[in-house]
Amino acid sequence: MLERFILELRTDDPGAETPAATRERLKGRFAPGSTRRMTLLGMLVGAAMGDLPAVGDDTVVYASAFGEGRALEDYLASFPAASPTLFQTSIHPSGVQQGMIGRQRSVRELFPHAGGRQLAVQALLTAMLAPGPVAVLAGGEERGTWLVEAGAVSDRSFAYAVRLAREPGPNPLGRLVLTSEIGSSCPSFSEPTGETPVPPMPGPLAGETAEGTLSHPAWFELLHHRRPFDGPAAEGWRLQLIWS
Amino acid sequence: MQANTVHITKDNSVRLAAWGCVTPLGDAVGTTAALLRGERALRAVPVLGREGGDPVPLALLDDRALDETAPPTWLAAIKSQFAPVVEAGWGRPRRPVFVTSSNFGVGCLYAYRRSGDPAFLPFGALPRCVEWLRRELGWGESVTVYSHACVSAHLGLLQASRMLQAGLADEGLVFSFDFLSPFVAGGFHALKILNADFPAPYQARATGSIGLGDGAAFAILTRERGDFTILAQNLYNEMHHFTANRPDGAGFASCLAPVAAAAAGRRLWLKGHGTGTLETGRLECDAFARMFPGAPLVGWKGSLGHTLGSCGLVELALAAEAMRAGRTPGTVGSVAPVFSDSVALESFANGAYDGAVCASNAFGGAHAAFLLSHA
Repeated sequence: MLERFILELRTDDPGAETPAATRERLKGRFAPGSTRRMTLLGMLVGAAMGDLPAVGDDTVVYASAFGEGRALEDYLASFPAASPTLFQTSIHPSGVQQGMIGRQRSVRELFPHAGGRQLAVQALLTAMLAPGPVAVLAGGEERGTWLVEAGAVSDRSFAYAVRLAREPGPNPLGRLVLTSEIGSSCPSFSEPTGETPVPPMPGPLAGETAEGTLSHPAWFELLHHRRPFDGPAAEGWRLQLIWS
Repeated sequence: MQANTVHITKDNSVRLAAWGCVTPLGDAVGTTAALLRGERALRAVPVLGREGGDPVPLALLDDRALDETAPPTWLAAIKSQFAPVVEAGWGRPRRPVFVTSSNFGVGCLYAYRRSGDPAFLPFGALPRCVEWLRRELGWGESVTVYSHACVSAHLGLLQASRMLQAGLADEGLVFSFDFLSPFVAGGFHALKILNADFPAPYQARATGSIGLGDGAAFAILTRERGDFTILAQNLYNEMHHFTANRPDGAGFASCLAPVAAAAAGRRLWLKGHGTGTLETGRLECDAFARMFPGAPLVGWKGSLGHTLGSCGLVELALAAEAMRAGRTPGTVGSVAPVFSDSVALESFANGAYDGAVCASNAFGGAHAAFLLSHA
């Protein structure tokens, strides 16, 4: 069983807001003039991470199934005169790097996840196996345009940043528990002692999981609405999310 | 309250049970032999493939054009040369797969944009490309996907190691693939670092340049089985600039210092990143010379080109093969003068060495390194 406490949480769901309106809403969160070349996803994730404490030697885990959808679309459209700026910003994990570079925020470990049916749980697993006492799990998607219909970019925008710690601190917002449901023979993997009992929680809501796999948007909804969860989240993994 | 009882050793050490790679020079054995002969896989190819453009140094698999096909032809090379990857049982919770790449199927998205042919779409979008590969290679659903430009493969190695050390997996398969297309060649050409010149890693010359190469590789990691050990895996991300490193080289030092500490007392050779750009080449040479004085430094991208997100795994396979063969290929494509006395231009016998440090760098000032040694 792996357990982490949620110390801080930021989410942003622009919903039907236009990209221009989102950019206008968020631009004050960045240094003057710095947002001109930032993507929408870069601004969403950068703003979500912006007021979390500096991470330094901690681990940052970034999750985005599609990454920079609009930069990808615009870069593809720029051929045969390929745009160097759009090439740069279309490369994963530009969405998380834009804000961190803008703030000159170095970090020892950055694990950018992409794609994959188990994106949400695998990103959590990466954060929970990070060796430091604290890890930041950030993520998001950016609604694309002409590649949406082809399923090659996201059809919605959102972003989140969660600061996870091994210790609860004075006022944890919640608690995450990942339990392997497959047997283990390794002696170094053992049940914690003195563990807080996990109360029964609602299982997955309709549309939140597909075949027992917690999707990335469903994971965002759990965080955004601070909704509890107790159920299978990926093959062999059970997730419990308990809010304080 | 005890937060977590999973224990991970500080050096992240795991065994390398099996490995392999495919490059335009062949499999790991064939590529190592070709590098030892000083062969160069790079050829001048129009940067936009059939649409033309400036000739730039690219290394493509035999019979493969720069323009992508639907389905991609490179899958056949993986299926035929990576038998351990397609065997049954990977992608289950105790035998997870870690897929790393910086390109995935983006060449198919480029082809779709230029041709309008929807036949490319099932292979183009990142999640769909991984799902297609998963089904083609017979994997279950326990597949983790990382993409961090040119250090991508290192992330798969590190997380697989942590899963093993935590007792959450019995074996881990790290698989990486990057195949070129006008999408990526056009991008690097637009950045003006992919030009008509062939790369000469660590060579002191007037203009820097890189080459790009097709590449795929795998590594099977275990706790106890295998002739080699991967240890002291370390990462560092400067977040100083999108494409440039800190001019004082602090990022290189931050990444390499823990590896040097773990390697103290060992006689090592060094496999650097060595793309052929000047400033990064100088910083790399300086950092290696400070951290590992006297250790010979080689880079192989002057022959193979830069295999991008897969370079860490392709070059791990070649380093392991070189250690098994007893001879390390030199820095193919470069001639004197070079940035440092430690740059080895010619091949050398490695039997007297205890292991090799393998390092990669990426956009955003990302650095990754590990120590590969005999078990």
